[in-house]
Amino acid sequence: MVATDQGEQTQPSAPARPRRGRGPIATAVMVFGELLITAGLVLGLFVVYSLWWTNVLADREAREQGDAVRNDWAGRTDDGGPGARDTKDGIGFLHVPAMKNGEVLVKKGTDLKTLNNGVAGYYTEPVKSALPQDENGNFTLAAHRDGHGAKFHNIDKLENGDAIVFESKDRWYIYKVYKTLPETSKYDVDVLNAVPKASGVKKPGRYITLTTCTPVYTSKYRYIVWGELERVEKVDARRTPPKELR
Amino acid sequence: MYGWIWRHLPGNAWLKALLSLVLALGVVYLLFQYVFPWAEPLLPFNDVTVDEGLGAVSGTV
Repeated sequence: MVATDQGEQTQPSAPARPRRGRGPIATAVMVFGELLITAGLVLGLFVVYSLWWTNVLADREAREQGDAVRNDWAGRTDDGGPGARDTKDGIGFLHVPAMKNGEVLVKKGTDLKTLNNGVAGYYTEPVKSALPQDENGNFTLAAHRDGHGAKFHNIDKLENGDAIVFESKDRWYIYKVYKTLPETSKYDVDVLNAVPKASGVKKPGRYITLTTCTPVYTSKYRYIVWGELERVEKVDARRTPPKELR
Repeated sequence: MYGWIWRHLPGNAWLKALLSLVLALGVVYLLFQYVFPWAEPLLPFNDVTVDEGLGAVSGTV
């Protein structure tokens, strides 16, 4: 650019702008201050990332995986193209009207990789979850309270008698909440037992357990909600939802 | 630090401002794409499951 610039006069190097004199201590203080400002900005961005951006990503991923499961149920198979997704672990959808968050895809496993996709996972460890169609047992689920879809964000809105509906390919499983535990230790694995005695039940039955972290924005404790199966409805041809969801 | 970057960007003030913006966006991209996803599991904000003590150490929550 300089070479083609015809109007430019070649000048002996222009005198450098006089540098403001600054002692080494002043420089050190200035750099330190700028580093502090930078750190503040990065932390602020991290909040934006965890509370907003992870939700954007997770909701997108959950929608795609959910669509894939529904397509699979409807007999429309993925052609194995680049958009094809692994649906074998997606077992159905959780609907909790009191949480006002639509449907939540349920997949196998509660590792972060699974849960970060904006789904609820059923436990494989430390206590193996039962599945809704099992004769007896506890269907135990976990999902994020904040970020990554925040699917159980409103778990504190659940009260006794509220419906938790699980939709599988051919059945609606309607559970009713009978006990909530707003705070317990994160090591309290007994809440996942097939007969969760901590909730006050003594006999084997068909239970559901939702777990997530509490208080919001931290993971100090766990929030637990227990429900018991009330009835099972067959899914009709038009997938008419049970009355709890209407 | 920021003064040093500003002085070393080429062009006039407008170009410098534009380049600064591009640099800042680049940094935000790197943070969101690589740094934060790496840092997040190491921070105790998002463990939602109950488990035995060992699980937390091995990274499964």
